[in-house]
Amino acid sequence: MAESDNPISRRTLLAGATLGLASWRLWAAQPAEIKVGLLVPLSGLYARPGNVMRHGAEMAIDHINAQGGVKALGGVRLGLSVIDCGDTTEKAKNAAQRMVAQQTDLVAAIGAYLSSFTLAVTEVTERASLPLLTLSYADSITDRGFKYVFQTSATAQAQAEQALPEIMKLAQAATGKRPQTVAIITDNTGASIASVKPMRERLLAANGLKLVVDETFTPPLADATSLVQKVRSARPDLLFFLPTVISDAKLVLEKMNEFGLGQGRIPTVSFGIAIAEPDMLQTVAPEFLQGVLTCVANWGFKGHEALIAEFKSRYKEPWMTQNAISTYGDMWVIKNALEAAGKADRASVATALRTMNGGPSKYYPGGEVRFDAKGRRVGAGMTVVQWQSGIPVTVMPPQLAMAQPVWPKK
Amino acid sequence: MKLFTLKPSVPVLLFAAVFAAVSLSITNSYYQLMMTLVLVWAVFGLSWNLLSGYTGLISFGHAAFFGIGAYTTVLGQIYFDITPWLLIPMGALFGGLAGLLVGFPTFRLQGHYFALAMLAYPLAILYVFEWLGFQEVSLPIKRESPIAYMQFADGRVYTLLALVLLVGTALLTQYIERSRFGRALLAIKQNAAAAEAAGINTFAWKLRAITLSGAIASGIGAFYAIVLLVVTPQSVFGMLVSAQALTVAMFGGIGTVWGPIIGAVILIPLAEVLQAGLGSRLPGIQGVIFGLAIIAVVLIAPEGLFWKIRDVVRKRRPHAPVVVEAAETAGPVGAAAPAFERTPATGEVILEVRGLSRSFSGLNAVQEVSFQLQRNAILGIIGPNGAGKTTLFNLLNGFLRPDAGTVWLDGRDMTGRKPHELCEAGIGRTFQVMRPFLRMSVADNVIVGAFVRAKTDQEARQHAAAAIERVGLAAIADRLAAELTTKELRLMELARALASQPKVLLLDETLAGLGSQEAEEVVGVIRRLAAEGVTIAIIEHTMQTMVKLVDRFLVLDHGAVLVEGLPESVTRDPRVIEAYLGKKWAGHADH
Repeated sequence: MAESDNPISRRTLLAGATLGLASWRLWAAQPAEIKVGLLVPLSGLYARPGNVMRHGAEMAIDHINAQGGVKALGGVRLGLSVIDCGDTTEKAKNAAQRMVAQQTDLVAAIGAYLSSFTLAVTEVTERASLPLLTLSYADSITDRGFKYVFQTSATAQAQAEQALPEIMKLAQAATGKRPQTVAIITDNTGASIASVKPMRERLLAANGLKLVVDETFTPPLADATSLVQKVRSARPDLLFFLPTVISDAKLVLEKMNEFGLGQGRIPTVSFGIAIAEPDMLQTVAPEFLQGVLTCVANWGFKGHEALIAEFKSRYKEPWMTQNAISTYGDMWVIKNALEAAGKADRASVATALRTMNGGPSKYYPGGEVRFDAKGRRVGAGMTVVQWQSGIPVTVMPPQLAMAQPVWPKK
Repeated sequence: MKLFTLKPSVPVLLFAAVFAAVSLSITNSYYQLMMTLVLVWAVFGLSWNLLSGYTGLISFGHAAFFGIGAYTTVLGQIYFDITPWLLIPMGALFGGLAGLLVGFPTFRLQGHYFALAMLAYPLAILYVFEWLGFQEVSLPIKRESPIAYMQFADGRVYTLLALVLLVGTALLTQYIERSRFGRALLAIKQNAAAAEAAGINTFAWKLRAITLSGAIASGIGAFYAIVLLVVTPQSVFGMLVSAQALTVAMFGGIGTVWGPIIGAVILIPLAEVLQAGLGSRLPGIQGVIFGLAIIAVVLIAPEGLFWKIRDVVRKRRPHAPVVVEAAETAGPVGAAAPAFERTPATGEVILEVRGLSRSFSGLNAVQEVSFQLQRNAILGIIGPNGAGKTTLFNLLNGFLRPDAGTVWLDGRDMTGRKPHELCEAGIGRTFQVMRPFLRMSVADNVIVGAFVRAKTDQEARQHAAAAIERVGLAAIADRLAAELTTKELRLMELARALASQPKVLLLDETLAGLGSQEAEEVVGVIRRLAAEGVTIAIIEHTMQTMVKLVDRFLVLDHGAVLVEGLPESVTRDPRVIEAYLGKKWAGHADH
């Protein structure tokens, strides 16, 4: 068929297409909403915390949009793009690659719960120059000289350094004397090891604590008898217990009670949020948890009362964990960066995050909303949470506490 | 009748060319990553296939090698600042060493025990790496000299590098498949005992296979670390990694170079598409669908897609008239057999057995058996069920070690030697229960037995062809063993034993399961072999056939020699009749 026979010439088609493309471009220049990526595990082992992060993000977006969106950009709304990063490092990396390749309109992202996922994901986002905020607290995340990762939690090492003096102070205030001896029962997952390592190396000694039992186990435990027996015979003033898997927490706590060490007879301190997750109540009786302390990077604290109430009623969650509150806060940080940048592109947002000086932090404990050269939040603090009557509440630091800490007296 | 008439490397190169072309046309970095990962898992599947696919020893622990490679790359770069260009070959080297170390103790185990033991290695190493504090190790970005450290902005380079590794592994696999190495492995898979009897040093070949397999797995693991950028013990030593190798290979087809490739090309993108498409909407459903897809394929094509497709293709093609020809050419052996004249036994002793005994937890399976086998003679070994006939053979060819007694072959003491050593020394045997390599042609089945005497593959082929000719199967040498009749299979097994050019041939119930006409034909072949100078010991139940065939009888009962002598006297011996028929009949012996 000759070209001229065709009533609609190729040129007409081309012109039409160009017109269409041009008008689309015009429309695209004024986006209906600015997209923020949320790359978290929604399937597999870590789906539950991933979903809680999603709830935090959704709530923040609703609040931001209800308050007029990004004002510097004419009140444009924020939108959430949720991507499942699965339950392995490889899946997380693939998901990150998919996010940067197919969602080129993202201005920033939040992710990816587990620090090993965050490490893998940021390898991709760094190369794509996409700013990423994370609540993961492994020191290594911000030790690689990356320019596009922003860590809102205190790092594991910083947390361990802050936590011990706080605990010592608390004990001394309650009992009148400093604890002398400590037992450690930890599993061998990345986060637990990262917390325990600096303690063993120097922090225990620096705080005048003598390590009398030091046990590392591989989850899941089949039986906690031998572990708890060692604690019983050593009778330490403190027990540091770092589980990641809830069933392990259950076994050890129940065994402690069985041996008459529970409910604070040996004050038990954990690190990380595993022991304060709502799931705990499904397997462990609240009285066994009574008094258990845990040091976490973030938790719903004083000033969040309305937020916590809304979160509880909206998502039928019993309380607001680090995953919810930090992600909620992350979204506000991104919103503020957009206001400062005045442009909806990732390079400007990254610059705004680096130069941001957001004053005292509202949704993270301690410090400011400002990042240092490594991407760590300046002055990032932590919270100490205690199980009281079936609910883990923030008890330290005093200015953030929602309840008085209870220290068991022998 | 061959499926691939063109050189086997051609389809591999063709696949690589198409894959490269597709890869070069993709600019989306995510799709490019998928292209790379398909190749990574295909190579890993091939490494698994090299050991488990060909030897049948299922490894649940290939992650051990994979992880060693991955950690070689990250730790080597972090602590010694070595470039991955060198670390990948180094990783392969470490993997090979690990294979050797793992194989040495583990190959003492059989079947399921081997699989379970293999499962333990990566799990153990996983904890070691966690204990060492390598929970999360990331490859440092080299902003100054990215290419020297294998860091490319363009994902296509990774795909092409992986493609080079795949082509290399695939061609190596194909080369091995065709060589003595591959046939030895296949023989081990079908029947390790038979392989030993055919002169294959199974332990040595298995060790070579796991070394090579470990090296390849480790090499691709080292490359994978570059793509993944962050290495955690779970991501390289975890159960899922070992399972990935099994999944792609079993899905695509075991024991062929195409299996892991087909498996990876389908499964890796499928898993990703499901993850991407459904992961954020119905979290978890991707795993369910992926699992169901695998179950469906395994049910429809239990040996993998490749074999299913090949079987369908083969069925479509009509059989050439070879079948008819085969029947005709195979015919003469039976009819013409009685005409063969045999040089009588020379009186020179080739095999001498003295006081051979073996007991199993109190049961004396063989006790104090002594006899001599003269060159060119046919010795019939008979006796009721459980008399110890097969045990005697197992002692003679080395499957079992005698508790007492000696075996002399051609004047050399061969007592307690390994089967492959005895085969090399000149003892060939067939088995009561046939173990043909069903997916291989007659010629390929027989060649397995030929390697023990042949220095080159070419020589082995000649020996095999000669052996096939001698049993009269020349016309159907290209047929698959699966298509043969029982008689043809018996003859093929005979040829396999003959291909090692044995001095003494031990035949264990070679006539079992044959009709009288067929049995006649096989007896004809045995006679002809004897006429050609092979010394034969044969176990058989049917007395009638034996009387016509053998020079002497050795009668066993309860593990001991009852009578030894000429056929006429043995068949009349009351003790023999009693052993076979019971006391009541013994009195009738002379009537």
